[in-house]
Amino acid sequence: MTEFLTAAVRALEKAGARFGDVRREDRAAFVVRAANEQIQTVNRVRRQGWGVRAFVDGAWGYASGTAQNIDAVVKAARRAVAIAKADAQAGVPRMALRGMPSARKTFRQKVKIEPKDVSGEEKIAAVMEVCRAQRIDPVSNTNASYSDSDWSFELANTSGALLRWREVRIRIAGQAIAAEGERREAAYEFRDGTVGWELVKGLDLGEFGRSVALDACEMLKAEKPPAGLMTVVTDPGVSGLLAHEVMGHASEGDEIVKKRSFLTNVVGKKVGSPLVTMYDDGTYPGAHGSIPFDAEGTPAHKTNVIDRGVYRGFLHSLETSGALKTRPTGNGRAQDFGRRVWVRMTNTYFGPGREKKDEIIEETAAGVLTKSWISGMEDPVGGGFQAVTQSGFLIRKGEIGPRVRGMTLTGNALSILKSVDMVSRELKLDGGSCGKGEEDYVPVASGGPYMRCKIVVGGG
Amino acid sequence: MDLLDLASDAVRRARAAGADAAEAFAIAFTTRSVYIEDDVPKVGEDRQEAGLGVRVARGKRVAFASTTLASSEDARSGVAAAIDSLKQVPEDPDFSGFPTEAAKGEVAGVWDSRTASTDVPGLLEAATSFTDAATDLKGTSVPKAIFRIQDYAIRVANSNDVVANHRGTLVFCYLTAKCGSKGKFGEGIMKAMDTSVHAIDFPELGRTTSRRAAENLKARAFKETLSGTAVLYPLDLGEMFIQTVGSAVNGENVHKKRSAWIDKVGKEIASAGVTIRDRPRMPKGLASCVVDDEGNATRDRTLVEAGILKTYVSDGHHAPLLGTTPGNGFRRAVATVEGSYTRPAETHVSNLVVEPGRKSLDALLAEVDHGVYVEKFAAPEVNEFSGSFAMEVRNATLIEKGELADHVKFALLTGNLYEGLKNVVGIGKDPLATHGFLSTPGCAYVPAMAFEGFELVGQT
Repeated sequence: MTEFLTAAVRALEKAGARFGDVRREDRAAFVVRAANEQIQTVNRVRRQGWGVRAFVDGAWGYASGTAQNIDAVVKAARRAVAIAKADAQAGVPRMALRGMPSARKTFRQKVKIEPKDVSGEEKIAAVMEVCRAQRIDPVSNTNASYSDSDWSFELANTSGALLRWREVRIRIAGQAIAAEGERREAAYEFRDGTVGWELVKGLDLGEFGRSVALDACEMLKAEKPPAGLMTVVTDPGVSGLLAHEVMGHASEGDEIVKKRSFLTNVVGKKVGSPLVTMYDDGTYPGAHGSIPFDAEGTPAHKTNVIDRGVYRGFLHSLETSGALKTRPTGNGRAQDFGRRVWVRMTNTYFGPGREKKDEIIEETAAGVLTKSWISGMEDPVGGGFQAVTQSGFLIRKGEIGPRVRGMTLTGNALSILKSVDMVSRELKLDGGSCGKGEEDYVPVASGGPYMRCKIVVGGG
Repeated sequence: MDLLDLASDAVRRARAAGADAAEAFAIAFTTRSVYIEDDVPKVGEDRQEAGLGVRVARGKRVAFASTTLASSEDARSGVAAAIDSLKQVPEDPDFSGFPTEAAKGEVAGVWDSRTASTDVPGLLEAATSFTDAATDLKGTSVPKAIFRIQDYAIRVANSNDVVANHRGTLVFCYLTAKCGSKGKFGEGIMKAMDTSVHAIDFPELGRTTSRRAAENLKARAFKETLSGTAVLYPLDLGEMFIQTVGSAVNGENVHKKRSAWIDKVGKEIASAGVTIRDRPRMPKGLASCVVDDEGNATRDRTLVEAGILKTYVSDGHHAPLLGTTPGNGFRRAVATVEGSYTRPAETHVSNLVVEPGRKSLDALLAEVDHGVYVEKFAAPEVNEFSGSFAMEVRNATLIEKGELADHVKFALLTGNLYEGLKNVVGIGKDPLATHGFLSTPGCAYVPAMAFEGFELVGQT
């Protein structure tokens, strides 16, 4: 096993790489999906492969494959160096990397109940229970899914590192569609994390499924949300989306190096109200985006991005820490063995405040309260963002009012953060996948407290 | 050894292991990518991967497993995993077996030999021609651009002696340009997809992307509410069509009562000028093929004719349930074929084509008295069940008496696309190809279209 990695590293050095590494992955997953109380898919996935990369005079060459023999990886290493040299000749500015890992460590993620020790029948039964619990009138379509993944990594580099680690994740979800006449509304809920089967075991599956169905039914009565700039109380999921999309992407070191971020040159400056504190923390216990090491072998790190309204720091890979002469923060991540490394977030969230959620509602004369997120999109250049919520509620005279349909939040990031005037003590993180632009998805989490701010709202 | 031969080998092994019926999907592909960062080629990639997805049936029990494919041992383990799952899965009363006859041949222009033989340095030339044109506009840079070529071959084999082959080339480009200074920047984003790298006009893409960046920089924050005509550029509109029309005509969604167009065959669902087809046999189509990923023969179908819904599309599982013919069981996406072997085939549109009109984009815009022209949203996202949307505009220009006026940003275009289809007031003549979510099969060829009934909401 070590011979495979060592051969690749030697080939990188011999071919002229200034720095290089090889990462081998073994990814196993078990997936169950059900619809209308019928199993749709039971899928066992196994993906094994490796990627070699070479750094030459400021440029990177990547080569990857699935053939598990030394000859293949040695040839790939030479190919990676040749690609890097070709790119370097095209005018890439020379630069040095910083903080290359050199440790020799093994990290085995421990979970209370190993998903692989739980039978397929038990997993299928859990999915069916979530699906069956959604069957209430007028739900027309019930859906549930479960997945667990067990990923093993080995990494070696030209600085002497030899790392082995394991990441285990689990996820269970329900989605109900309620229909009345021509109208159809959906509700979706999930639980996930870098944990084991204990997550499912600790869940009241029937209640979980029923709450999704009730949510979809309630959506049938939801009103169109109001439009325009208004007071919004974001729930932890949408607060997390703001953290992730608004400030997180713009804090990725590669965007700073390219001056593609509106946060370039703001370290030490005020970017939000004093109530705003934000972290990216790859060490957050049990969160979906937690990792022992990033794809470059740098240990995960907790970065204080914003401290009481003042911008503190960026997220870095080996390359961006070299370009900006600082330390890597464990944010060099890759989708899989065949994909390049980018600077990526891990678990990104706003820190808690002092109020209770109910106190924030009571103090709000008029506005909307968001309920769960669907998606978001960043705008690191312009400082704008888009966040789509599943639904929400009107707030009238300090009380939660009628349900409103899904809405989209947008506006200027810094204006929004500066408008934050109340932050709750409750804190929650949701898992998900994050792409760089439109691809290169990695597991992440985002979250935060309930936050009151001014945002542009619109809904269809 | 040709790895694709392992598809038939897997079917034999599955039968020998006790499966009544079996199907194997094998894919081998190479990926070559160039990433431009800050005007220079920073990263080059060369990826090789092969994979196998095996579906086995015993009676009415059906299970699936997948694995990367490097040797016959992988095929053996993939089959063993699928057979093992058979013991766990409940019966699927709707399972009706695998195809018994496969179509032969190729759709013209789906595989391009020159594209297949383009290496990383060759792709670098295309990247350079884009970058040179984009940076030709003073003060403009290319912070990030992705150029990717895939050359893939597929084989589907099953226990009914069906052996079907397909091969193709795919080109995917994600392009950005940035301009501005002193903390104020504008960004333009474009995408391009084709089956041939030589069919793409990279200098023209460079000019368009840099123009969008300049217009985004000049754009003012929109602070009003506008009701009028909305003209939407093909690319993001195509994604909106995949999310809504692609979902509504999906036979699996119809069967599960998720579709917005249940029981609408023969009814008016769009303006009389709207005709939409699913065209898997379209020459040079990104999703074109004579057989789908289950081995069933594909066929072109008219889905909506002059505003009237005609039919749905289905995979092999749902076609008998709906009384239609199969041919739309897909697992490979058109932006990348990565991961296609890790999931069983499901119902998807192939090339979703909106019949072009006769008007140029300029003619469409000239007819608008009061409205907005949206070239780019933050992320085109429409609720597939209700059709509602509220999307942040990134490149939008007001239209007054047929003339383009102010560029605007920080605003949401809101509306309902299913309602919008009934209020189409203009269809352009030049469709562009686009895809949906990265790993979702199917694509759209949609021209620019003009709609009544949408609203642009700013920071009122």
